Amino acid sequence: MSDDETVEADGGTASQPEGVGEERVEEHPLEWDEPANNDLSPGERDSVSQRAEKYDDRKLVTGQAKYTADYEERYPDLAYAAVVRSEIPHGRVTDIDTSAAEAMDGVAAVLTPDSDAVPDAKYTSAGQSYPEPSPWDMHVLNEHVRYVGDPVAAVAAEDAETARAAADAVDVSYEAYDYVTDPEAAFDADAPQLFGEDEVENEIVGHDYDRNRMASIEGELGDPESALDGDDVHVHETEWETIRQSHANVEKHTSLAYCNEDDRHVLVTSTQVPNHTRRQLAHLFDIPIRDIRVKKPRVGGGFGGKQAMVVEPIPLALSLEIDRPVLYEATREEEFYAMRSRHPMKVRAKTAVTDDGDIAAIDIYALSNTGAYGSHGMTVAGNVGSKPLPLYSKVPNVHFEADIVHTNTPQTGAMRGYGAPQGTLALEGHLDEVARDLDLDPVEFRQRHYMEVGDLDEIAGMMGGEGAERRIRSCGLDECIERGKAAIGWDDVEQPEEDHLHRGVGMALSAQGTGVAGDELGAAQLMMNEDGSFHLQVGGVDIGTGADTAFLQIAAEVLGCDEEQIVVRSSDTDVTPFDYGAYASSTTYISGMAVKKAAEDARERILEWGAKLLDEPVADLDTGDGTVYSEETGDSVTLEDIGYEAAYGDEEREHILGKGTHCTEESPPPFAAQFVDVTVNEETGEFDVHKLVVAVDCGVAINPGMAEGQVEGANHMSYELAVSEGITLDEAGRAEVSDFDEYHLPSATETPPIESILVETHEPTGPFGAKSVAEVPTNTVPPALSNAVRDAVGVRIREMPITAEKIRAKLDEREH
Amino acid sequence: MEIQLTLNGERTTVEAGTEQDLATVLRQHGHIDVKCGCDGGTCGASKVFVDDEVRMACGMAATEAEGSDVRTVASLGTQDDLHPVQQAFVDNFAVQCGFCIPGMIVEATALLSENPDPTEREVREALEDNVCRCTGYQKPVEAVLDAAGRMREEGVAADGGRSVGAPSRGARSVGCCGGDCDE
Ligand code: FES
Ligand code: FES
Repeated sequence: MSDDETVEADGGTASQPEGVGEERVEEHPLEWDEPANNDLSPGERDSVSQRAEKYDDRKLVTGQAKYTADYEERYPDLAYAAVVRSEIPHGRVTDIDTSAAEAMDGVAAVLTPDSDAVPDAKYTSAGQSYPEPSPWDMHVLNEHVRYVGDPVAAVAAEDAETARAAADAVDVSYEAYDYVTDPEAAFDADAPQLFGEDEVENEIVGHDYDRNRMASIEGELGDPESALDGDDVHVHETEWETIRQSHANVEKHTSLAYCNEDDRHVLVTSTQVPNHTRRQLAHLFDIPIRDIRVKKPRVGGGFGGKQAMVVEPIPLALSLEIDRPVLYEATREEEFYAMRSRHPMKVRAKTAVTDDGDIAAIDIYALSNTGAYGSHGMTVAGNVGSKPLPLYSKVPNVHFEADIVHTNTPQTGAMRGYGAPQGTLALEGHLDEVARDLDLDPVEFRQRHYMEVGDLDEIAGMMGGEGAERRIRSCGLDECIERGKAAIGWDDVEQPEEDHLHRGVGMALSAQGTGVAGDELGAAQLMMNEDGSFHLQVGGVDIGTGADTAFLQIAAEVLGCDEEQIVVRSSDTDVTPFDYGAYASSTTYISGMAVKKAAEDARERILEWGAKLLDEPVADLDTGDGTVYSEETGDSVTLEDIGYEAAYGDEEREHILGKGTHCTEESPPPFAAQFVDVTVNEETGEFDVHKLVVAVDCGVAINPGMAEGQVEGANHMSYELAVSEGITLDEAGRAEVSDFDEYHLPSATETPPIESILVETHEPTGPFGAKSVAEVPTNTVPPALSNAVRDAVGVRIREMPITAEKIRAKLDEREH
Repeated sequence: MEIQLTLNGERTTVEAGTEQDLATVLRQHGHIDVKCGCDGGTCGASKVFVDDEVRMACGMAATEAEGSDVRTVASLGTQDDLHPVQQAFVDNFAVQCGFCIPGMIVEATALLSENPDPTEREVREALEDNVCRCTGYQKPVEAVLDAAGRMREEGVAADGGRSVGAPSRGARSVGCCGGDCDE
């Protein structure tokens, strides 16, 4: 991409919606042309919908599964990396004295921005599709440092301790600049400026580096301005604030690089995006894509933090320098200050409501603090509006706007929910407040406006691109609410006997997407072995979610065999087909559909062979129980026989191979309804959350056990977003958190029981009716808990986290 | 220096620097089932038994293990003969990325040997210092309660007594997909 091209708010991949009309109805037909085998009833499914054992679980519970760091024993000449990071929030490196580090025993190399092995090119760490919708504003090692934690130099040594000690011995001199850490202040004309125009390539729409603005986006539907100005409406406005949440993946960012005997560069790395990483490394190091191999072993949690090329360039540069394999494992402290976090935001919600309780207009404005660099900045901010707003597709006038600004604070990036948690807090908290002000039932108030099957969701397409407008073909919101209410005991909340204790319930709704509309690709390949077993090669990335098992279930359902007959191999760019990676809730939907297509492709050949062996027409044949059988005659032949026959049989022998590629304009939303039950002590503000209930419509759950696990984990993350401080920073933007004790993740005793309810619908565009499940429950606890506290004691907390002190302060305020 | 210890039931000699922690040394000797998720003592992933007591292997000097009986999660069960706690984790979908799981299973096994009939609260308290980012603790807690029930019924000792209710499906000996082969 050349310097003067800019990436549009839609990532450059979709066009703006045109006027409403018949044409678009045809573009988004309600009736989806779905193959009959996709719509199996629960009774007809053999593998799909089963609580099949997660295929790698036995390795995981015995500790035998291998994560990146576990590969170290394979490389006897492995060197270990450590990184020297900026200790000042903003400035320029004037000198790096590496002599003391180089003189240390066991130090193999010290790299600085000037070293030959260190690329000069600019890039973004965001692991997104191409063209990348993030600015290229980073260097592998930096002279201009923009936050406490910016990488300045890198070291390789015989062991990790020596590398760390050598990194500490590197002496860096700086010229310090003024810095700014507050996103509102960053806008000021006289605020320190982080970037000059020439320091960024691939600039994003709405950038204004004079004002530290990385991007600005806006979308509109109807005429919100007039609707908000009308004199027959009540206008409400509230403002909300979210924390800087850490991914806190238990496996740290880890990456191992070496050059193999064919002079090709191999990265074994803990990533969600092997193919994007390969492309980004090729660009950065000017190595042909074919000469880079990215392999993903087991990954110990990603949550978006590894949808980024955060660490890989460091071991690659070092391995190029010393011609040895190099392992870089971030320290836990680096995880908190130098990896990635959720974008902290301020979000304002404004509505106009008529006397009849109809919402005439919604306006959302988000100010996102992207930190020192812009990775995922625009796309995350876009989702603040484009994920939650479509819930209320019946609202005629909608406006959304976001500014994304730089500050001298640690880097943000993708994180589960991807902007939707921030937007959902503002919207669902706001609507609850409005309903209470107008004396309307908060649930009914939502129900009057929310989405139903058949709705053309234009709001999702308001800004074009991601989540572009769509027809709603599956929606289980009613059932989510009904079952969630019953599970929390919504209608029969019993008040505690003590006068100072008050119990309340709160709820919030959420919608997400499934994949990025128009910007996804997954591919898979299925090879039949001669004994009737299979090898499934799929680019889709299992980062601990169980995706590989879901792929096996999908393939087994199509092939009519046991999952154990299939070996899955995923995410190795030399071996597995292309895939955009594990993000945007796309894995089961996109890569899973590719697997289904590959299996169907192979099945066609299998049926041909079955027809030949049984001497019956293909049309009469089906697969099941590891055989091809005839409905007509009851005759059957095993897959094993077919495998041998195909490989060793007549002159028409063939290797049975199936391939499948899936990309789509569709991104059907999954839905969730969250319920929280809380008791608040009116004297102290202390509160006790008794239970979290979250009901999720994920279409058909390919594996309900795994899907529940995803929902519960996401809800725990959401609970943390509501009650924990996140990564707090000092006045210079330095992280005050260095380990898990300081980063307060709610522990087993501090986490309320989570009840997950799967509401089954059927999404005709997904494999066997599936849409996504893992992100939507990340969005809902902050608003639901804020609403529950409001219900219990009448005060409203809008600034996360919700703490006893804040409740107490509000209660005091109310009394005076 | 050389350290003598009993490692998963076998007398072993390991080489360790005086400054090295036990987790690093065990891992250097191929015990990758000892996971390290932090830089010491705050995640619980590296839990092992040292003379039947649960310790974070990252938090003790390897030299301190001289002469002791060290057991990692691998001592509990094998892939086709899982310990009931491991089996319960599998059956209850309590494992996601799996990184925290060895430490959690060690802790859960210790709990059940002392308290075969714990309440949910007691299970949560036992797992208090095991950080898990994936599961929200819901299914692990259910798994430990389930394991307790199974073990009471079958009268299995918690200290690595052999698995009962043999696994319904054999372990797949598939190498770790996507990374296990070199080329
Ligand atoms: S690595 Fe030992 S407790 Fe975290
Ligand atoms: S299963 Fe991933 S951290 Fe616990």
